[in-house]
Amino acid sequence: MSAWISAPEDDMVPPEIISTVFYSATVSDSLAILVAETVGGTQRLTWGNEGAMQLLGYGLEDLRTLPAAHLFPTLGGGELKLLLRRERTARMTLPVRMASGATVDAVVITTPAPGGRMWAMRILDTTNEQERALRATADAHERRFSALTERSPIPTLLSEQGMRLAHVNDAFCTLVGLRAEQLLGTGWIETIHEDDLDGVIEQVSAALEGAEVETQARLLRADGTVRTTVIRFAHLFTPGMGAGFVGTIEDITDRLAFEAKLAHQANHDPLTGLPNRTLLAQYVAEKFRAGTSGLACLFLDLDNFKVVNDSLGHTAGDELLVEVAGRLGATVRPGDLVARFGGDEFVVVCENVDEETAVALAGRVSEALARPMRLGGVDIRPYASVGVTVQTVEHAAAEELIRDCDIAMYQAKASGKGRITVLDQEARAQARDKLRLVAELRDAIEHREIAMYYQPIFSTRDGQPVAVESLARWDHPERGAVSPAVFVPLAEESGLITGLGRFVLDETCRQLAEWDHLLGTGVVGRANVNVSALQLDDNLAAQVADALDRHSLAPSRISVEITESALMKDPASARAVLQQLRDLGVELAIDDFGTGYSSLAYLRHLPVDCLKVDRSFVAELADGHSEIASAVIAMARNLNLCTVAEGVETVEQAEELTRLGATYLQGFSLAEPMSGGHAAAWFAAHSEDIS
Amino acid sequence: MTVTPFPGADIPAPVFDIEVILAGIDTMAVQKPVAAQIISVANSDDTDAKTLARILSSDIALAGRVMKLANSAYFGMRGRVTSLQFAVTVVGFTTVRTMATVALTDLDDESRLPGNFWDLTTSLALGASTLAPRFGERPPDSLCLGLLAQLGAALLHHNDPEGYAEIVAAHPTFRSRRAAETRRYGINSLRLTAVALEQWGFPAAMTTPLKEIDDYQTMDGALLRAAFEVAARLTIDDYEDIPIARLTLGRLREDDLVPILDLVRSEAAELKYAMLGQPVDDPEGNPDGWVF
Repeated sequence: MSAWISAPEDDMVPPEIISTVFYSATVSDSLAILVAETVGGTQRLTWGNEGAMQLLGYGLEDLRTLPAAHLFPTLGGGELKLLLRRERTARMTLPVRMASGATVDAVVITTPAPGGRMWAMRILDTTNEQERALRATADAHERRFSALTERSPIPTLLSEQGMRLAHVNDAFCTLVGLRAEQLLGTGWIETIHEDDLDGVIEQVSAALEGAEVETQARLLRADGTVRTTVIRFAHLFTPGMGAGFVGTIEDITDRLAFEAKLAHQANHDPLTGLPNRTLLAQYVAEKFRAGTSGLACLFLDLDNFKVVNDSLGHTAGDELLVEVAGRLGATVRPGDLVARFGGDEFVVVCENVDEETAVALAGRVSEALARPMRLGGVDIRPYASVGVTVQTVEHAAAEELIRDCDIAMYQAKASGKGRITVLDQEARAQARDKLRLVAELRDAIEHREIAMYYQPIFSTRDGQPVAVESLARWDHPERGAVSPAVFVPLAEESGLITGLGRFVLDETCRQLAEWDHLLGTGVVGRANVNVSALQLDDNLAAQVADALDRHSLAPSRISVEITESALMKDPASARAVLQQLRDLGVELAIDDFGTGYSSLAYLRHLPVDCLKVDRSFVAELADGHSEIASAVIAMARNLNLCTVAEGVETVEQAEELTRLGATYLQGFSLAEPMSGGHAAAWFAAHSEDIS
Repeated sequence: MTVTPFPGADIPAPVFDIEVILAGIDTMAVQKPVAAQIISVANSDDTDAKTLARILSSDIALAGRVMKLANSAYFGMRGRVTSLQFAVTVVGFTTVRTMATVALTDLDDESRLPGNFWDLTTSLALGASTLAPRFGERPPDSLCLGLLAQLGAALLHHNDPEGYAEIVAAHPTFRSRRAAETRRYGINSLRLTAVALEQWGFPAAMTTPLKEIDDYQTMDGALLRAAFEVAARLTIDDYEDIPIARLTLGRLREDDLVPILDLVRSEAAELKYAMLGQPVDDPEGNPDGWVF
């Protein structure tokens, strides 16, 4: 219809077509069409099709008498003009009055005919079944969706424009402690922590443009507390409207707190709450910049902590540690780290300090610790030895710093308790040299590079060599010969003594077996092997037995020499070990006899065969002082023990010792220590001389 | 002015020919084709932000306002909106359409408007938008309804400045003012808005509240009534409050209004500036900085 109204000049449409279209419009019951006309200043209805009559319930005759305004009860005053425009089509949604007096909601579209006096009106019932059904379905969807989110325990946000919320559910209101009215629109933005807001907006932007994203954000509750959450945003598009987002929130505060607690537990000492060794290492590694300075470490070790623990009990010991931790924390500067290194050891790490400041701090710490405290009814002063190290360009790695202040602490302890020692260049160099030497000693033992030398021991009865003493010697490729007085204590400190001892024992046995093979069994009757105090344990007898067994030697071929001081460290257990060796059948000698302070009464009960007279007493013979050597030899004889006089340098000494009644002699003047091969040759030559 | 009595009508005949105004609306589209095109395109269900942004980009002033609005505190995006397409996404198609309508009808020219027009309009829009969820409506739609509701009043004022000023002065309440408008013009300002919006294809959901505002027995006009009440309390001196429960068939209580009034009060100025493209020295207002 609009074709010929809007283009009346188009007279190309044949009348047949016009009548066909008009006929179909007339009889259509799905299309309601009316025609209105201005008659005497009033708009009246002049025609209606079948559809209009069905919709409105009027007969055609009744319709023709009606003013157009009658159909539209809501159009008051001059408003009919708005619907029946002269120049253009108009469209209105409004109730249309039916013959029954009831109204039907409809969209009315009017099209004026040229001249502006007549209008064609199409009435579209908006309440038809299909639309109602569609709307009902849509409403049901909407209700289901809102019920779902409303009752969901997951805090949910819904935006239909930018950051503006159109909807929040109860769970979100509960999470932040505010009412929905306070959160809708941009109100919820106030609940986002200021520092996290940019991140949230960034993710919202991404979501609005179609992405699915998430971000971590802190939400501020109305009561002032903070919850940490993960917000997940999904894109939401409404056709014809634009984009929004659905946000769901997961409160991870408790999970993070639990994780933080676990992490704290992993990195902190449960007793004092201080960072532990792991965290200390991380911290120092983080702060350490090689080639710079300014980082300092204080290593503290409580003096006599063991005494407190042993005498007052572990609870008192724990109490002391907690008190010390508290005093340390209160004394160091803000920003300094106090860590419990282990046991009664603590480490303080400071930044931006020179040596003077670090030592001053160590002084303050010592003073603070030394204040008396009452523990188990006793007043004690927890003194500490403190090692201080300030970072230098020579520190290549963070752990060197801690190791150095550990060394400094040991130096402090060694020089008397309650002291502060700074690890200086020389001490550091020495410590490093020692470390290197330990490594080299380990290699030397592993590769059997420790050489064994054997010094003959002579009987005073007939002047014949009856035994040898095994002496370990370390010829260092760069340092030359390293004295046993250096490397044996080093092996003892660094836990290498067991390996060294086992090597000496095994090599001596091997050599004895070889000599037996070369010279005939028993030409070298016995070998004396030195044993360190640290070897005096339950394993020693078994090791000796193994070595003898491995080389098929009788136990009597070995004499184990133990220093007097080693025996006195723990006399009871030493005695037990000696007894095991004795039971095995090996001989036992006490080395360096007379230099310690052993009780003679105690000595009487030790299962030993021989006393070695210390070389210092032998040397005194040259000055005419034979008193001690004489007394030792006499005492041994009275206890039915034999004696070996060490360090015999001259023929006169040998004669004097023989006169005093010594059983055996050993010394440079009689025979120097020699290698296994030389010893074989020496013994061979000696036996030839005799024969 | 022509006096044209309407035979058959129940109420007194108007004293002003509304045809003048309606004719004016028709000529607007010709003068502002881009705005008219946006109004037409944005109505379609298959419209997308890209298409709208493309059309919008040929009207620099309007595009600038959309950008500014998208970055305003109202949408909370804090200056993150740097492309026009994203701006369209953020504010929503209905809002773009509303802004085009504002431009089309010269609502952005304050010299042609009744006094206090935008203060009242922004409060009305924010009130409607904020209260929308309580009435089961979408806030963006309600915002637009509020922004455009006074279009009819603006048209009446523009075409009959003296007569309309007399009505405003004599009738401080909106309801009595509407009755006076009907007596003088044969139609009240909200119904006139509805007619214009229907003409431009705005959905019935937006025009129904305009038509039903004075039917206190139905919920259709309740949200708009409540929004007018919010706007009146905030912008009219010595305004005598009407109980909100009476206006909303008990849906709202006075307590509910307290946070709403605070919110609207704090956001209104920002929205007004964004809608009117002020202030001019804002960096977002510089067309060179936009990405289309």
